[in-house]
Amino acid sequence: MGRLLVVESRDLTEYAAARSLPLLVEELCQKGHDVTLFLVENGVIAARRGAAAGLSFDALSDTGAHILADDVSCRARGIRELAPGVCPSDLDHLADKIADGFDNILWY
Amino acid sequence: MHNEDPVHKDRKRVRRVAIVLSTGSYQREAPTTVLRLAEKLLERGIEVNVWAFEEAVTLTNREQIEHNEPPSLKPVLGESHAPVGRFIDQLLRAGLHGAKMDWVTCILCAQERGVEKHQMGGAIVGTLGDLWKFVGGADQVIAIPAYR
Repeated sequence: MGRLLVVESRDLTEYAAARSLPLLVEELCQKGHDVTLFLVENGVIAARRGAAAGLSFDALSDTGAHILADDVSCRARGIRELAPGVCPSDLDHLADKIADGFDNILWY
Repeated sequence: MHNEDPVHKDRKRVRRVAIVLSTGSYQREAPTTVLRLAEKLLERGIEVNVWAFEEAVTLTNREQIEHNEPPSLKPVLGESHAPVGRFIDQLLRAGLHGAKMDWVTCILCAQERGVEKHQMGGAIVGTLGDLWKFVGGADQVIAIPAYR
């Protein structure tokens, strides 16, 4: 199965199309792909602990997705605590994962 | 943690990444994120090829002027507000002694925006043929979409 990177830079609560992102990630995981979801820029907003959209990250993580949030983006938005299922990360980590190679990178 | 299944065991380390960017400086945060990521990739010895089109052709406009910050904000933001072109210049220069970054600006988009003759040193005015070669020669391709 493939190794996929999905980067989300949009605020999931602002864009209607972004709500399909968790469904995309879930389906890719269910098909057996190794999926990393990296939240950056406004994408980290939904990962704030207590945010309504944050409830889906926990379940999404249970499907096997690796969900990461960029620390610079979080700090710029005053996000100190992440929703369950979301791990703190940074662009060094992202660069390391890209260096290892993905079969496809989807950047939203 | 690497997967050890047969699909991944032969995966080779990435040597070259192509980035396709269409966003200008003040539309979205994407240019900043791209440059942050490019810096990290270059630090790892990975070559980065950027193909800039649409509003992204203004990122390498050499006429960008650095402004002083208002006195009330200087204690917080520093003396001046550097344009993004300075960061790009630094990354291009870093490539002299390490993994290199090539930055190509779409000629058509640059002409339409009146910045073809104003590209900073190190930025190359090119065509879709360059994009084709960047994509074909890359181990990874990252295309950053433009949003309203």
